[in-house]
Amino acid sequence: MSDTVAYLLMAWLDPGLLLLTGLGVLAGIYVGAIPGLSVTMAVSILISFTFSWNINNALALMVGIYVGGVYGGSRTAILLNIPGTPAAITTAFDGYPLALKGEAGRAIGLSTVMSVIGGLIGVAVLAGTAPYLADMALEFAPRDYFLIAILGLLLVSSLSGKSLARGIFSVALGAVVGLVGMDMVTAQPRLTMGSMELLGGIHYVVIMIGLFGVAEAIYQLHNLAKIPVKQKVSKIVPPLNMVLKFLPLSVRTSIIGVVVGALPGAGGDIASLFAYDHAKRTTKNPSTPFGEGAYEGLVAPETANSAAVGGAYVPMLTLGMPGDAVTAVIIGALVIHGLNPGPMLMIETPHIFWFTVGNLALANIFLLVFGLTGIKLFSKVVEVPKAILIPLILVLCVVGTYSLNSNMTEVYWMLGFGILGYWLKVFGFQMGPIILGVILGPLLDESYRQAMSSVGNQAGDFLLGLVTNPLSLVLTSVITLVLLSNTPLKPWLIARFKRG
Amino acid sequence: MTKPVLTRLAIAVGALSIVGSAAADYPERNIQGTIQWGAGGATDNVIRSLTPHVEEILDTTIILTNRPGGTGVIGMSHVMRQRPDGYNLLFGAENPQLYPLMGLADFTYDDMHTVNIIGQGLVVIATHPNSPFDNFEELLAYANENPGELRMGGTGAGGLPSTIHAMINAVGDLDVRTVTFGGDGPGVTALLGEHIDFMPLSLSAVAEQIRGGRLKGLAVLGAEELDSLPGVPPITEALPEIESFLPWGPFWGVFVHKDTPDDIKATLEDAYEQAVASEGFQEFLVNFGGETLNLSGEEAQQYLDSWQSVTAWSMFDADAVETSPEELGIPRP
Repeated sequence: MSDTVAYLLMAWLDPGLLLLTGLGVLAGIYVGAIPGLSVTMAVSILISFTFSWNINNALALMVGIYVGGVYGGSRTAILLNIPGTPAAITTAFDGYPLALKGEAGRAIGLSTVMSVIGGLIGVAVLAGTAPYLADMALEFAPRDYFLIAILGLLLVSSLSGKSLARGIFSVALGAVVGLVGMDMVTAQPRLTMGSMELLGGIHYVVIMIGLFGVAEAIYQLHNLAKIPVKQKVSKIVPPLNMVLKFLPLSVRTSIIGVVVGALPGAGGDIASLFAYDHAKRTTKNPSTPFGEGAYEGLVAPETANSAAVGGAYVPMLTLGMPGDAVTAVIIGALVIHGLNPGPMLMIETPHIFWFTVGNLALANIFLLVFGLTGIKLFSKVVEVPKAILIPLILVLCVVGTYSLNSNMTEVYWMLGFGILGYWLKVFGFQMGPIILGVILGPLLDESYRQAMSSVGNQAGDFLLGLVTNPLSLVLTSVITLVLLSNTPLKPWLIARFKRG
Repeated sequence: MTKPVLTRLAIAVGALSIVGSAAADYPERNIQGTIQWGAGGATDNVIRSLTPHVEEILDTTIILTNRPGGTGVIGMSHVMRQRPDGYNLLFGAENPQLYPLMGLADFTYDDMHTVNIIGQGLVVIATHPNSPFDNFEELLAYANENPGELRMGGTGAGGLPSTIHAMINAVGDLDVRTVTFGGDGPGVTALLGEHIDFMPLSLSAVAEQIRGGRLKGLAVLGAEELDSLPGVPPITEALPEIESFLPWGPFWGVFVHKDTPDDIKATLEDAYEQAVASEGFQEFLVNFGGETLNLSGEEAQQYLDSWQSVTAWSMFDADAVETSPEELGIPRP
């Protein structure tokens, strides 16, 4: 027991580890804030760099970058309407309208506090229930991932803005783009038009940077003459009663985050989408309507994506299976450092588990400190003249995309999607549903084919599976409920029933 | 008029001096290393463990970039397009030897120069602990009585499970449902959750799961039991004829452009031979579930040729590919 406490507090008491965690968080915030610079990339570069280090030092730095990076994505989402990471896409929906109203400081302050709350709930769940949650995550069969993807597609109604028809078109467009590349089963090229560069598909971050970064930058040219709103920077730290008011919502969205994060096939990006949708459905009277600067729309994704960090560590520390791309790289780091990530990790080297739990909590505290300082300066970004800001954004988009895979072709794709995104914006299309399609299309394709081949391609057995397995039955019922309550189907059925 | 001529002369002289000094002082700057597979995978782990040893020997920095996609086609074609000056290395796995057969690209490792074949991974056929089968023989017998019923995890055409499946079908009969996953990781996760019945996997992906009792080994792909996996029988006990394909495993190697100057090739070959043989890396590789090959020159070429011939023909004999290896000039083993 005393050993557990010692490892739990190790990072808090050792000055070197304290410094590395803090440095990691600070670096992570900036890595996350620049579209294209990803936590996965930063952590994989660190592996070679920390090869000769003590394992605890290496882990402390990686944990710091991970926590900082997931949070950092919200900065540019709020200030510029350009999410720095896919998990911050929904943050922009209500964060940017707040910045336009001069409340950028308040929005960043609230997102910081909420990220920390989400992060700490994620750590608590990791510490308390890791083995059980991991076993639960394993229960998800390909059939269940298929149902999750369907449920995700239904989010289109939350993300489409005013026109559902345009939203559905955008999701379909995204799904088709997501299918480009080599077919997973047959290894045949799909929609590549003979191009070798397209065999690997188009990375969804490339599409995200184009649609959100470049498209937004071009769109801003319409408002060149508009004088930016003066930012109120007096009230940054959200008052306690505001935090308390959102506490029930943040606990719910944190739980969504940690559970989705623990699923090996889904991460913070999908978690934040579900959380945003949840907030929109369950909040009767938002501070302002969703999409126009509702605080609830900021709270939900920020708590969920931070809680997903704790979730992603669950299968990694208990089973040696990654919960997302970042934990996959951290597993590689453990291997290189001579540890054996797997089911025995927690039994033979429990200190790694408790050290990580303590360190994650510490990183969240650093996040609170770094997140709430320097906001005044950051808020001024919105007041920078467009003639300076827009070229800077474009440069960052190019650098960010290139650094993803050092591939110039991806930069061209990014610019292409930027121009496409601009025209779609002009005609009233939303960018969110396109990314939704890009993320969920491949998941839908993969899980459907896995589920079908598991039952020997018998459609009857597949459909039966959707209602006979308890977990699948729950998911199927949720989908049915959502379909009934959110479409004209229910009133139509009721009318039919009454008449008949 | 004289100015452009002079400039051209200066450039020509400059270029010559670069070529002249390149070989003698190699390496005089950082080397770019392209990893054909994603961060955190087996190839990535092996290369990131080996690189610090090479950096020490060559006294330079090797900047590693992951360029995954298209079964490694994208990373390999990138390195092949770079200047042949020895400053661009490719770190790859076995897949390029099958590109023409799979119709993915028209090049193989024969179109590059092999610096070192580092080692190969051991392969094990694994199942979950609640499975009624204790060895591969029992599974094979059940599958013969109930064709098309068991679910095997795969990673798509040309992946390791599909190759093992083809080898088994080339000498025996195994009729199963193949469920395809994006890689070893998602496959192992599905096996842990008992959503599939068995999966051929590299030992590095499952060694810890087997040691921790979350999975059990049915057979190792080899003619003898492994010291690291006591109690798991060799596959030859169930299928003696498969021995003609052995030893076989997914391998990792280092490659440079074919036209790289000979002395640079020699410097690299020396450095990698020493690094692979170093105690630190050897310890890692054993722990990782691999075995050292450390081949270069003629030996490496022989290994690559024989790997390609065994794999291509077993896949063709099991009807896993349509193109005949003969059309591609791959001789029968």
